[in-house]
Amino acid sequence: MNQTEFSYPPEMKTDSESRAPFRRNNISVLAELWQYRELLRSLVIRDLKVKYQRSLLGLIWTLLNPLMTVAILITVFSYFMRIHIGHYWVFLISGFFVWNFISQVLSSTTFLLSNHVSLSRSVYFPREILVLSAAFSRLVEFLFEITIVLVVLFVFHYSQVPFSLILLPFLILIQVAMAVGMMFPCAVISVLFYDFKHALPILITSLFYLTPVFYHASMIPEGVRTFFYLNPFTGLLSLYHTVLYEAAWPSIMLLCSVSVAAAGILVVGYRVFRKYKGVCVEIA
Amino acid sequence: MKLPEHNNLEAIICRDVTKQFYVYSHRTVSLREWFIRSIKRRPIHERHAEFSLKGFNLQVQRGESVALIGPNGCGKTTVLRLIAGIYEPTFGSIYTYGRVTAVIELGAGFNEELTGAENIELYGAIMGLSRSQRDRHRDDITEFSEIGDFIKMPVKYYSSGMIARLAFSVAVNLEPDILLMDEVLAVGDQAFQNKCVKRLKAFHEGGGTLLAVSHSLSQVAQLCSRVVWLDEGKIHMSGDAESVLDAYKSSAGKHTTEQEEEV
Repeated sequence: MNQTEFSYPPEMKTDSESRAPFRRNNISVLAELWQYRELLRSLVIRDLKVKYQRSLLGLIWTLLNPLMTVAILITVFSYFMRIHIGHYWVFLISGFFVWNFISQVLSSTTFLLSNHVSLSRSVYFPREILVLSAAFSRLVEFLFEITIVLVVLFVFHYSQVPFSLILLPFLILIQVAMAVGMMFPCAVISVLFYDFKHALPILITSLFYLTPVFYHASMIPEGVRTFFYLNPFTGLLSLYHTVLYEAAWPSIMLLCSVSVAAAGILVVGYRVFRKYKGVCVEIA
Repeated sequence: MKLPEHNNLEAIICRDVTKQFYVYSHRTVSLREWFIRSIKRRPIHERHAEFSLKGFNLQVQRGESVALIGPNGCGKTTVLRLIAGIYEPTFGSIYTYGRVTAVIELGAGFNEELTGAENIELYGAIMGLSRSQRDRHRDDITEFSEIGDFIKMPVKYYSSGMIARLAFSVAVNLEPDILLMDEVLAVGDQAFQNKCVKRLKAFHEGGGTLLAVSHSLSQVAQLCSRVVWLDEGKIHMSGDAESVLDAYKSSAGKHTTEQEEEV
């Protein structure tokens, strides 16, 4: 037994070849993930099956819960505290489900790695799959929700098909990149620091108020608006509001900066994950 | 990647593998602690390194069956996890040639809410098999596990023996090139155990490479031609099964011998 103290993080010296078996051939991470796409698919299906197979209303539950919140928010902000946004319900549903997706994937990270620890200590598979499967099973639900939203908007709101809707797939892509990029570090931090599990729900609740979900980004006072845009979700929600609610083209400037931010979050977040995933499997 | 003088004979090569675990006085720290420590520039985790393996060398030929034996905590499971790629070695390098399946904890990948058949699908996917490969094996697995109609029930209604039998069947029927087994042969009743040993022998005769950890020395003698005796993270003795097992028995003393007779 060696009693020497070490500084944190552990300096693991590894040959590049001595990594996980499938990466020894210098196949990049992406190629490896592609190899394991079947696993990703199975895990997503498993998640959804386990969640819904024994409940009577199935996927309807995914809609019912946020719909309740939406109904409450609409009532409160159109009748009690009046927010002066025309067609407030359209405004709300065009962004709320995006927020719902983000808050759910973020809170799913707290027990993501520790829940699967017996699996990850007995079989090798790329650990990224765990994060991705959590994100993708929520994405399936989100796609279902956004389809309903679109149907409702077409029936009750749009007089003609807004051209801006072709941006929607791109917005979803940005949204997923941003969410996954945030999930990676959150998943390892939850293992390394127990406090994070308590802090995260508070953080998410605060973010709900600090992100333009139930108010418009233009209602943020001029002076602090820059700070609000430091929160990447502010930009994302604004884009959704413009595309779905206003049915207009967003400014190229905003679109580009949000995309760059999402890519940056994904890259940095993944680096954190890659650095600590090995330790996490050992101590989770 | 340049393979080290590979002549198509080796299945597993471990070179000077050292695995260091950190034993934390507290597994995780509070944020307050972290903040104070990073300001004072003190190490954030009070910990010391514990060596699980020190300079471990092992070469396993293709088609060989090797057993790892040794007292609890000597690093046997760590060796399997390193070879399977679950842990990364602190120093040294590991090479494997062929598809590796590790059976370290039976039923670890199973989800309680899913049926046996669905879990076979999932496990196959975890092992990295394509769907056509899994389809090919599904019936073999079901038949081998002898759990009959329970295959259509959620796994949470299974007895622990049934879970273990199903998991074992999945592992041996997925046709790996290299099979790593950790203490999983003590599965089910005597008849099923015999069946497992027979299945593993067939796997070995079919050219598969087997690396097994076992405390049941009689099974080791039945299955493995070479035995590696680990002690405190180092190879204590390595050689043909008979001589190593004899030495191990006489060193472990009367206690082990008695246990062995019970088995």
